[in-house]
Amino acid sequence: MHQKTPEIYSVELSGTKDIVKTDKGDGKEKYRGLKNNCLELKKKNHKEEFQKELHLDDHKLSNRELEEKYGTDIIMGLSSTRAAELLARDGPNSLTPPKQTPEIVKFLKQMVGGFSILLWVGAFLCWIAYGIQYSSDKSASLNNVYLGCVLGLVVILTGIFAYYQEAKSTNIMSSFNKMIPQQALVIRDSEKKTIPSEQLVVGDIVEVKGGDQIPADIRVLSSQGCRVDNSSLTGESEPQPRSSEFTHENPLETKNICFYSTTCLEASTSPVGTVTGMVINTGDRTIIGHIASLASGVGNEKTPIAIEIEHFVHIVAGVAVSIGILFFIIAVSLKYQVLDSIIFLIGIIVANVPEGLLATVTVTLSLTAKRMAKKNCLVKNLEAVETLGSTSIICSDKTGTLTQNRMTVAHLWFDNQIFVADTSEDHSNQVFDQSSRTWASLSKIITLCNRAEFKPGQENVPIMKKAVIGDASETALLKFSEVILGDVMEIRKRNRKVAEIPFNSTNKFQLSIHETDDPHGKRFLMVMKGAPERILEKCSTIMINGEEHPLDKSTAKTFHTAYMELGGLGERVLGFCHLYLPADEFPETYSFDIDAMNFPTSNLCFVGLLSMIDPPRSTVPDAVTKCRSAGIKVIMVTGDHPITAKAIAKSVGIISANSETVEDIAHRLNIAVEQVNKRDAKAAVVTGMELKDMSSEQLDEILANYQEIVFARTSPQQKLIIVEGCQRQDAVVAVTGDGVNDSPALKKADIGIAMGIAGSDAAKNAADMVLLDDNFASIVTGVEEGRLIFDNLKKTIAYTLTKNIAELCPFLIYIIVGLPLPIGTITILFIDLGTDIIPSIALAYEKAESDIMNRKPRHKNKDRLVNQPLAVYSYLHIGLMQALGAFLVYFTVYAQEGFLPRTLINLRVEWEKDYVNDLEDSYGQEWTRYQREYLEWTGYTAFFVGILVQQIADLIIRKTRRNSIFQQGLFRNKVIWVGITSQIIIGLILSYGLGSVTALSFTMLRAQYWFVAVPHAILIWAYDEVRKLFIRLYPGSWWDKNMYY
Amino acid sequence: MTKNEKSLNQSLAEWKLFIYSPTTGEFLGRTAKSWGLILLFYLIFYGFLAALFSFTMWVPKYRDQILNPGLMVFPKPGTALEYTFSRSDLISYAGYTEDLKFLKLYTLEEQKNLTVCPDGALFEQKGPVYVACQFPISLLQACRGMNDLDFGYSQRNPCILVKMNRIIGLKSEGVPRIDCVSKNEDIPNVAVYPHNGIIDLKYFPCYGEKLHVGYLQPLVAVQVSFAHNDTGKEVTVECKIDGSANLKSQDDCDKFLGRVMFKITACA
Repeated sequence: MHQKTPEIYSVELSGTKDIVKTDKGDGKEKYRGLKNNCLELKKKNHKEEFQKELHLDDHKLSNRELEEKYGTDIIMGLSSTRAAELLARDGPNSLTPPKQTPEIVKFLKQMVGGFSILLWVGAFLCWIAYGIQYSSDKSASLNNVYLGCVLGLVVILTGIFAYYQEAKSTNIMSSFNKMIPQQALVIRDSEKKTIPSEQLVVGDIVEVKGGDQIPADIRVLSSQGCRVDNSSLTGESEPQPRSSEFTHENPLETKNICFYSTTCLEASTSPVGTVTGMVINTGDRTIIGHIASLASGVGNEKTPIAIEIEHFVHIVAGVAVSIGILFFIIAVSLKYQVLDSIIFLIGIIVANVPEGLLATVTVTLSLTAKRMAKKNCLVKNLEAVETLGSTSIICSDKTGTLTQNRMTVAHLWFDNQIFVADTSEDHSNQVFDQSSRTWASLSKIITLCNRAEFKPGQENVPIMKKAVIGDASETALLKFSEVILGDVMEIRKRNRKVAEIPFNSTNKFQLSIHETDDPHGKRFLMVMKGAPERILEKCSTIMINGEEHPLDKSTAKTFHTAYMELGGLGERVLGFCHLYLPADEFPETYSFDIDAMNFPTSNLCFVGLLSMIDPPRSTVPDAVTKCRSAGIKVIMVTGDHPITAKAIAKSVGIISANSETVEDIAHRLNIAVEQVNKRDAKAAVVTGMELKDMSSEQLDEILANYQEIVFARTSPQQKLIIVEGCQRQDAVVAVTGDGVNDSPALKKADIGIAMGIAGSDAAKNAADMVLLDDNFASIVTGVEEGRLIFDNLKKTIAYTLTKNIAELCPFLIYIIVGLPLPIGTITILFIDLGTDIIPSIALAYEKAESDIMNRKPRHKNKDRLVNQPLAVYSYLHIGLMQALGAFLVYFTVYAQEGFLPRTLINLRVEWEKDYVNDLEDSYGQEWTRYQREYLEWTGYTAFFVGILVQQIADLIIRKTRRNSIFQQGLFRNKVIWVGITSQIIIGLILSYGLGSVTALSFTMLRAQYWFVAVPHAILIWAYDEVRKLFIRLYPGSWWDKNMYY
Repeated sequence: MTKNEKSLNQSLAEWKLFIYSPTTGEFLGRTAKSWGLILLFYLIFYGFLAALFSFTMWVPKYRDQILNPGLMVFPKPGTALEYTFSRSDLISYAGYTEDLKFLKLYTLEEQKNLTVCPDGALFEQKGPVYVACQFPISLLQACRGMNDLDFGYSQRNPCILVKMNRIIGLKSEGVPRIDCVSKNEDIPNVAVYPHNGIIDLKYFPCYGEKLHVGYLQPLVAVQVSFAHNDTGKEVTVECKIDGSANLKSQDDCDKFLGRVMFKITACA
């Protein structure tokens, strides 16, 4: 039941006039209209704008007119000189690769993005401060210059690091892009020449053999048994015959045009399918080129995580700048010198900016990317790692993604019964009843009436993976019979073929006559297969349980019921019949003549039906269910026919078993479609034809109201409209696809997912992620990883932000209370870029707290990465506790050395005077400036240790957001402990190893000071456990709302 | 159409609504009750933290940051240790002599309650009451400021006092003395009182302001004598601790550790 309904194919390829207006004789100029349309598409979202697309009427012209139009000769071909001219005019016959952002631009973006600007400001302030110092005192210390350089270095190094990470993930992809140069057989100067297909020009006469790629858009002049695989262009998995006849107004549907980059299929026997044609479009002006340009015209959307990080950067930068300016004003009004105020400002900026965080985020994302690559999700764009997690709609292509992209026998009908065949990837489990004698006959027909053959040299390859010469359905039949019956070639050898009529579109059947291996009667067996209705016409009997019965009306009716049923499943149905030729009329020596048809082709015996489908991958239904439970809507968008699409949708669960479309309800209640209450239907099947007439509001309504949607017969542009429609619903849209036709939608999607094996280069180029195993189920893994990384990034950021308060408070206290500076800028950098890095990465290894696949995808405008509770809890709760703890260590050290806290108040000015070398402490001891400075460094070290110790507690509490740490398991994530160990080791090295390097301002701290903040660390842990306990006990309460981040 | 294209009025109205929304009674996005709750929460939370913080304050114990005393001079001239004065101009050294009035602490009157300690030995005490030793101001001879209230400034013979920083528990090994030399060869005349700049061991150790009430730091006076023709010349004097095995007078980073350097210029 391979019914084509080409009328509903909705790509509009007219609109000559529009384009003629812009045609100024320049070949390139002519297509400006196209680009304009793309632009308007972006601007206005009016799909009417781009329905008129491509002017192509070559399929309507006769050979003579074609010769005239392109100034060529069908026999002689173009002359070399003319070809060279045309090549110079039109450029090479290749697709312009999409514009890449220059590497230097990417690099510079890293240098100024995120917090870098703030740090640059800090660095410049340092240099300005030095300038001021230098102007008043030529011997001013270079400390500020060094600090400025260090800040600049931090930006540059983190920038290089992020760039390197990005580049590494991009490099994986470039290996995909290696194109093998293609050759084309062309007639020029009346000679057949092989030239690189890049050099083809309009008007060239080319010959294409089976197995080759079509080198350009060509108008077929003559063909022999040629079929092309248009699946990458239209999504149809069935091969399309091509001949020189003009069969359809629509150039995409007519038989006499072959498209660039589609494949001319290998035929099973000689003569090999060949096609001769005239090149009518080359390079970017081909249909494929047009679609590719459509894809590049679609802007790259910002990934949700990029938006989240930007939001986070804004928050932190906002806090930094406002506190900075506030305290600058306070400092100035407290009569501090401008120089001092600038130095405060630098400190505040450095303390507020989590310098290491963006690098940590990059590492975290690339760790996840690696983990996903292991599970066959290759991520091209690091940020896309998370996008999949926030995906709320998946628009999936059918062929090759949901299905196996190969025809497979799905059902059989014989003995008035429908049998189900195993369509799983390996066919291992064929359970239908094979004892009937009808099956014996049917299997014989399937085996013999088939021209497909395995390619030689594949003895060790599993049957389902063997390469076959032959078209898709014959391949399916061959493999099916090989699996059930064993060596098909041997059977064919025993039943030698004596005559054959191959399948053609007028006959719609295929016939062959064989000697049989039946030892009892040396009769010839005629076997035939073809379109069921045609086969039935030729039959007068039907085989039931091995007996021939006359074909009466009732049996014909059961046949029709079965035929309709199988057809209704979207399957392609073939009928099979046979006839044993009586030995007396057709003796062994009888010579069959195909042309004279000296044998009967009617009154045959009908044996059975067999239906084939491109079956769903066995993992897909489960994956769809998982997506459902994860709150993700799966929409099928395919170029294939609605019936097939719906059948596959049903079998994979995109349309669930108990939901009905409006049409189904109408059918069930036996009423007109219009009378059905649309609200009753949960599912909808929308064809491209219907979509064409819809306004965007109507589309929105469909997308919003139906849970289960299948779009069939859609064009590339319509895929784009659908994706945009979904995005209008505020959804994060993932699009999967493999064909060139999918590339615009892949690009437009929030995350485009291309198939690694079956995917075309165009699709892979446009995609953000590549599924290496082409398996839809891998997406589920991706979603899970994406959601996990979002949660874990939250934890990482909360962890990192917390200590900012502890780093910031010293500066504020320093300004207001006038304590000797508790922590230095360099020390802060050592925390941010030293001790805290590994622990914050370690949080990326944290396991999920609950089943993240059972909750709804996050709402991109509501569930922020950094929300108010997170900032408030990190800054004002844990952060302040940490600051207090660190101050405790600081005061302890000072007090132990002689400066009691009350002495320290307002001591700053005296403390920092270089000429005061006998400053008295609380006990009357006198300190030289250097002694004080050294004590100040000890204070820095103490404060640093205080933060460090409490950051360990912070790290532990950040493991979970809701569950108790003891529920999560303190030791399950080993990396956390690596992080804690690294933190302590780095701290020890800084204090005891580098304690003598004065530039770093660390000193050797007495061992007991390490334990001063421990009670505070324990308090932090205890407090957070209480917080989590109340959140768990009183969900939705005031506490929950204010304390859960 | 899009969110970015909100008119100014709209966003203003939104802000107003955010600051106070009459319908929900929300002020800055929270109702009065919500604000009350959150403020109460923070009051308790921070109150608790503050209590905890003050409770855990430690008692002082260590003095490992200052092992060696620094040297410092009196008077303290402004930002750098540079003295400029003119014999004839009283104003030019008024500040210095004013600074040196701190010697009043060392008058006999002030010291009458202090103990006369045995010379030449460390004066270690067990407490709980610590007594302070007298420092006879007469040791400073010409610089004691009894007869000459100008401390020699009016005579081109300015006095500068050098003191060793107090450090609790510091005991000198060997008799320390402050050795002062002029860095300028042609102006040799630097006198030190007491003789040789000796600091008697009885002033060590000191037990800190709180326990060791009335403790007087030993002082050493340096008198630089300018000749008539030395007018306008800058003299650099360096004083160092000498004679003690454990008191360092050399540190790469700390220029005041056990030494001090100052400049004097006598103008006409």
